[in-house]
Parts: sequence; C-alpha cells; structure tokens
Amino acid sequence: MTTFADTYKKYADVTVERNEFGFDKVRVAQAAPILGFLYENWFRVTMVGLDSLPESGPALIVGNNGGILPLPALMLMYALMRAEKPRRLNVLAEMSWIEDERLYSLLTELGFVPWSSANAKKLFAAVEVVALFPEGIPGAVKPVAEKYRPLPFDWTRLLPAIEERVPVVPMATLGCDDAIPVIKNLDWLAALMDMPAFPITPLFPWLPFPLSLTPLPVKWDMHLLKPYICEPEGDSRDHMEDAAADRSCWLEGEIQAELNRMIRSRIRAL
Amino acid sequence: VVDWTNIQEALRVETPKLSEDFARRCPAYYSRYAGEQDKWGYNIDVFARWEILFRFLFEDYFNLTIRGLENIPNEGRAILVGNHSGLLPIDAAVLSVCSANYHPSPRRIRYLVTDWFFTVPGLREWIINTGQVRATLANAHELLSNDEIVGIYPEGLRGVGKTFRERYRIHDFHPGFVQMAIETQTPLIPVATIGGDEIYPNFVNVKTIARLIGMPFFPILGNFPWLPFPLYFMCLPVKWMINVAKPIHLPYPPDRAKDKKLCLKIAREIQFDIQRELNDQLRERKSAFTGWEGGEEPDPSILRFIRQKK
Repeated sequence: MTTFADTYKKYADVTVERNEFGFDKVRVAQAAPILGFLYENWFRVTMVGLDSLPESGPALIVGNNGGILPLPALMLMYALMRAEKPRRLNVLAEMSWIEDERLYSLLTELGFVPWSSANAKKLFAAVEVVALFPEGIPGAVKPVAEKYRPLPFDWTRLLPAIEERVPVVPMATLGCDDAIPVIKNLDWLAALMDMPAFPITPLFPWLPFPLSLTPLPVKWDMHLLKPYICEPEGDSRDHMEDAAADRSCWLEGEIQAELNRMIRSRIRAL
Repeated sequence: VVDWTNIQEALRVETPKLSEDFARRCPAYYSRYAGEQDKWGYNIDVFARWEILFRFLFEDYFNLTIRGLENIPNEGRAILVGNHSGLLPIDAAVLSVCSANYHPSPRRIRYLVTDWFFTVPGLREWIINTGQVRATLANAHELLSNDEIVGIYPEGLRGVGKTFRERYRIHDFHPGFVQMAIETQTPLIPVATIGGDEIYPNFVNVKTIARLIGMPFFPILGNFPWLPFPLYFMCLPVKWMINVAKPIHLPYPPDRAKDKKLCLKIAREIQFDIQRELNDQLRERKSAFTGWEGGEEPDPSILRFIRQKK
C-alpha cells in the first residue's frame, strides 16, 4: 500500500477509499503491479488522446470489446491511474451471470459496477468517469474472423448519458481481439452450463485454468476520440430515445472507422 | 505473323451483330440510349460488346444477388454512392450491366472516374465509350442537370487498392458528393457491395514499383504479375451481393451546401451505414464462395431479384 501510494500519488489523492458499489482502493493497490505489467510489458499499450477526456466532471467512455476478458476496461483503468491528471474509472458491465462471489467482489472492488441505468445515473451524479462496452458479452466472444468489426451497439445503454447530458468519448482498441483469438463460441455448451458464452480459443479450455486465459503478447493501440455532448431536441422520453439511438449508431460507426484507420497504419508499420 | 488490321476488321464486323443481340435482350435500355450522342462520348455499341463479358461475370461467375435494384429511380437524377473494391473497378461495371438487364426501366449509370485512368492509353477510350466521365465538378453538375444517374465511389483509388487484410474496411468518404447532392437537390442512393474485395486477394502493395511506373498501386496477387497477359486478370469466383438502399432525400436548401460540417456529417453517416451493412452481411455469410446459405437456395428474406425475373 505504501509503494502504491508513492508510485500513484496523484491517483491515491483523488480517489475515494471505498464507495457504495464495493470499490476498494486496497484491492486496486494489489492489482496495480499486475495491470502495470500487462500495460507496459505485455501489451505495450500506446494510449492516444487521454487529454481529450474532460478534466473534471462526469464522462462516459464507449469502446469496442473483444477477447473474452475485460482487458480493454482494465487497460483503460490503468492508463487513467497513471495519467497526468488521474481519474478513477468505473466500468458498467453485465455482471448478473457471475455466481462466484470471489470473482464478483474482485470485480466490484476494482471498480466494476453492474449495469443498470440507476447505477449509471448515480455514477454520473458522483462526477465519475464511466466506461461502457455496449456490445456486451456477444461482442467479447466474437470469432476471430469478425475481429475489429463491432457488433451493433445497444442504444438503451446510452440513455442515462443522454438524459444527464454527459459528454460521451468514443474509444477504439486495436489488439484486444488478437490477444485472445476466439475460434468459435459454443452456444449449446454455454446453455448447458448456464454460462453467457463458451468460447473456444487455442488455449481455452485445453490448458489448466489460469494458463488457459493467457493473452498473447500483442501490441495494443488505444485511441480516445473527441468527446461529444448530445443535445436532444426536447426533454420528452421520445426525444431522448431518438437521440440515444442516433448517437449509438454514430458511435459505432466512428469506432469502426477509427479501427479501420488503425489497422491500415498498423499494416504500414509492419 | 499476326495481321492486326484483319483482327480489327473482324471485330468491327462483329460489333453490329452484338448490338442487335443486345437490342433484343435489353429492348428498353437500347431504345432509350441508342443513337444518343453526348459530349462525353458514350457509345452503345461498345457498351453492347462489353456487356456480354460482364453479364457472364455477374450472372454465372459471381452468381450475384442484388437487392433493391428497383430503388434506382425510373426517371430523374440520382447519385449512387458505394464502397469501392477489387483492383479493377469491376463492381461499377457489374452494377451498370445489371441495371441495363434487370431494372424495370433501365438506366445507364455514369460513373465519375479519377484522372489517372484517363492517362492509360487503351483504357481511356474504353472508359469514355462505356459511359464513364472524368471526375470534375462541372461534369458532375452537367450530368445531374441532364437527369442522369451519377455513380460515385468516394473512396476513390484508395478503395480499389485495398489489401486483403483491409477487405470491407471502408476508407473515409470525401464529403464532396454530399455537397453536390445538396447543391443540386439530388437524392443519394447508398450501395453496399460484398464480394469485390475478395476476387483479387491483394497481399502486398508494392509502393516503390507503383511510384516508379506511375500507377496508384502495384498489387502482388497469386497470378499477378506472374502469369502471362490475359491470365493475370483471372479473378476468384466469389459470391457477390449488392444491396441498393432506398434513396435519401436530403432536407436542406441548396445554400446549405457550403456548410462543410453538415456535409461531412452526412458523408460520415452514409459511410457508417454502408460499413454496418457490410459487417452485418459478412457476419451472416457462411463462406466467400457459397455465400449466405451454404450453397443452397437462400431464404426468402433475401430477395433475389435476378433469379425471380428469369
């Protein structure tokens, strides 16, 4: 804890100890070396555009997801932790399927929050930075043939941000789909085992547990794009819904276009 | 010794026969455009000669499924906007020929072509005779005021030279086409083409050679440039699908065309729409060669315009 407080002094200063969703700074301090290793040495993340994040006030970061584990969320969390002006990241995620309490509490202690619009609004009211991956679990287990082609975004997830007039920042992550390449998602086995998905990867489920989820050491690029505050035409529910649907289509396209650009520049770099 | 004049004579004799043939098959198209002289040099005989090749390509070789061809209006102007693909702009030719053959009131599509193609000697005449027009603002405006269908691929040459790893990843659209649509109050028709990016798997784009010989790109394929002349144009028999969307009437007065921000926003929206359509279709596709239903007849929700007409 002491070394953590020294290394991430600014982060430790601005961050609460605990909150109502189960966040625990001690757990973050324990996880920081692991996240740091993944960020700096394993994925060698290039983070672009962190300064486009509003310096104060709430913000919603919307990104593409891939590779089973919520690695983009964790990498973003670490990037914000060691940033010049650090912010604590909350990740709104689908957590109702998790039955293992240890896993559930680990995630909440790191800053994951089960998705609901009430929770989202609470976080915005508490002036927090929130990350959201609207593809959901199907997006995380999409097969490698469809890599970097985001699934259609669920626009209802954007409603709280539209209603509260929170700036929305798109984020494109290149590398997550290659880190854990999913060969196929076995729906029937997932249904049998009462899990949201059962992906087959070159390592999963063949190797013993922690090894089977090892990500490949792929070079990552993460780009935060320009924030946008949505102004719905009116205050009625219909206007909000229209604005959210439009915005989620736009975000999806923007992230896809940025991914296309990143893929091109990566090919050139090789 | 090959006597070239004889071959040219032979071809010239063949041409009227081909035109008659074409007139029999596409009477509506032929009567509409036969004998028409315009300043860009459209020649229906040349079109008829090449129509055979491209009809073979899309009907038998690519086994094209086209949806929404009826969205191209019977009368009046429109701008077609699409994703470009496939090294040789076959997608444009296929859509033109498809419109001539299967549209209820066939229209010719005048594509705006980059200057580079006009510098290639043989290609220049061919492009002009089949109805393509050099891409300038004045030409586009004149075509639209003549109530023609103008085809634009806003990606330009960048889109044609995509490598295989970038297939179906659209380059950012230049907003010029939106500006033109608002200025002339023309509806926009987005077109999504799947298949074109895989017919020529372009593994490497050798920029140095391209720069040396003044080409926009120099692809290395399995057969190009290794095989002798006609063989290196051989393409893979990929299953094609072209989706023509409903016309978009932009609700803006002509003076809003100067609003760069608005034009860019609309261009992006159309680009994102086409990209989303491509992603959806690719997700449903079983394989590049058999298409969407594993080689069997597709489900009725995919309207197969061509086969229904037969």
